[in-house]
Amino acid sequence: MRIVMGILVAYLLLNVLVVAFFMDKILMKTFPGQDPLQTFNSFILYYFLMDLIMRFQLQELPTLSIRPYLHLPISKNQIANYLSLTSLATAFNLTPFLLTIPFLVKVLIPQYGVGAFWSYILAIFALTMHNHFFSLWLKRKVNLNAYWMLGFFALLLLVWALEFYFKVISISNVSKELFSAVIKNFLLSPMLLGIGLAAFLTNHNYLKSNLYLEELETSKTSAKSSTEIPYLNRFGLVGDLAANELKLILRNKRPRSVLVMCLMFMLYGLIFYNNPKYDGYGHIVFCGMFMTGIFIINYGQFMFSWQSAHFDGILTSRIQAEDFFKSKFLIFDVLSTFCFLLTIPYVYFGWKVIIVHLIMYVWNLGVNTILVLYFANQNYKRIDLSKGGSFNWEGVGASQWILSIPLLITPFLIYLPLSYFDYPKIGLAAIAIIGMIFIFSREFWLNKLVAIFNTKRYTIAEGFRKE
Amino acid sequence: MIEIKDLQKVYNGVRVVNIPELNIRTGETIGLIGNNGAGKTTLFRMMLDLIRPDKGVILSKEKDVAQSNDWKNYTTSYLDEGFLIDYLTPEEYFYFTGSLFKLSKAHVDSELTNYSEFFNGEILNRGKYIRDLSKGNQAKVGVVASLMPEPELLMLDEPFANIDPSTQIRLKNMVKELGTKKRITTIISSHDLNHVTDVCERILLMEKGKIIKDIATNSNTLKELEEYFSVLS
Repeated sequence: MRIVMGILVAYLLLNVLVVAFFMDKILMKTFPGQDPLQTFNSFILYYFLMDLIMRFQLQELPTLSIRPYLHLPISKNQIANYLSLTSLATAFNLTPFLLTIPFLVKVLIPQYGVGAFWSYILAIFALTMHNHFFSLWLKRKVNLNAYWMLGFFALLLLVWALEFYFKVISISNVSKELFSAVIKNFLLSPMLLGIGLAAFLTNHNYLKSNLYLEELETSKTSAKSSTEIPYLNRFGLVGDLAANELKLILRNKRPRSVLVMCLMFMLYGLIFYNNPKYDGYGHIVFCGMFMTGIFIINYGQFMFSWQSAHFDGILTSRIQAEDFFKSKFLIFDVLSTFCFLLTIPYVYFGWKVIIVHLIMYVWNLGVNTILVLYFANQNYKRIDLSKGGSFNWEGVGASQWILSIPLLITPFLIYLPLSYFDYPKIGLAAIAIIGMIFIFSREFWLNKLVAIFNTKRYTIAEGFRKE
Repeated sequence: MIEIKDLQKVYNGVRVVNIPELNIRTGETIGLIGNNGAGKTTLFRMMLDLIRPDKGVILSKEKDVAQSNDWKNYTTSYLDEGFLIDYLTPEEYFYFTGSLFKLSKAHVDSELTNYSEFFNGEILNRGKYIRDLSKGNQAKVGVVASLMPEPELLMLDEPFANIDPSTQIRLKNMVKELGTKKRITTIISSHDLNHVTDVCERILLMEKGKIIKDIATNSNTLKELEEYFSVLS
């Protein structure tokens, strides 16, 4: 599994490198008649501004890792240094260099020489360090007092307004001037290093004087209340189980980020439907399956790992496996229906879009739910719900990868041959009918799933107990 | 109530549980003791069908727990935090576990008032999820959730650990009452010899997977057990 992950990461890095390597061509194409180096320079500060916002959203604070060291004879200075150093290992700190170095080697060195190159890299390094430590410091401040976040966004808004609305400042001009100067004057970069150092020291001192677990940890203690989810009440025990699962999704960080991802996926259709190049039904089948089934796919692929922390409790309590599985179907049904309703505005691109969405919705409820639950029975990996979702590979195993193959291929195995012989509508009808058959024979598949679950439950529970 | 026949569990070539025969009668209060690694929790997990025995069977009311689900209708248990749904508030959790035994919300609420002293004001209406409670308070939630439905068989793994002295004493009284008044079969493990000899009428002492002592509690039991453990260490 590590190999597949490694290949994926390497592929992404390769993409970045390819973009970086052909940056000069891209810039010449998009901004014809301008010196690519000048255009490149003008973008750098924008990049770092975006980088800062992204970091603020996504970067994780490494704090819990220090708990075992606090009571040992290690000075606070060292612990603060340790925290600062370990935090550096993030993709955010690598991308600026990956994006700039190939371009600089290709364009800058031939024109201005190696000295200018090192000066440029030093400037990039200084800005990266500044963003890194500034965002960490700001996040810590925000954890204690949310007004800091308001202040930060107000400042960004002000900069945006000054640039685009009042046109008083121009970040691109500043960026262009700054980096033209960096290329010519080798003293400027070491000076820029000063702001990186300033951010580092601010964060370092803040850490040193606040090295107490309760202050470092994200402990927003708003009062939690007991809530009921009214619609699900009527389903009895199955509804209760589904309600609990809905609470699981809403009250834990990682499943919540899955839900947010699902909502973002609702925009997926815009990429394809806007493009006149695509006609026919194939792309709608693809988009429709993802948009109406995204919850089944994204959330379902990690079942039952979401419940790994209390799986023993489920097994020993008075819950029949049938009801357990029925609750999964119920939650899939409810959320997929919700997703389908959200795609209705795509009717703007024609009625056929909505009809195909409806067909794929039926397919998802019929086939993909069963498929996902079949693979859930083979999944023995524990998941810690409290950790964030982005770049979190915990709980990712072979079953997710094997699952994605039938999930993605089957509808096309039915549709494509028929559409190839010019019967696309029969292909769609076939998908719909098969989906319906599976919906109506759910009871049969449910019993099969329960039977498999009963033979696998010891293995699943044992896997979930391993932290 | 419970009948164990020729039970064995092997991990990495080591027999962690090895019980040729054991009978637990209805209404008995059993104390399960033994040093770490003696096999107490493994035994509990096999009785609750969480792990599969390598050999032998466990019968609960004459039915194999691995084959039939009937035992779930009259058995409640709390072994560790893995039994708690930690993103619920304690109230939500009690309503849920109560509903499994067909207890209405109102019923659960009135039952909970009986435990207000046990909770000591730290559990209910605190605006916290179970995961935000301390270990001891989590244990309280788990113990009460398994007491409330008034099961016929109750299993608690080290319920006295992590909770404060006053609560320990209250819990002891509650468990004693279960045995004498309600005739609930109870199996409790503990490292505290005082508590176990005080509460339980029968003590099972485990060592390396075997039950090496099976004694009806009397005034000499505590001394006997203390001698055993002091020689061992």
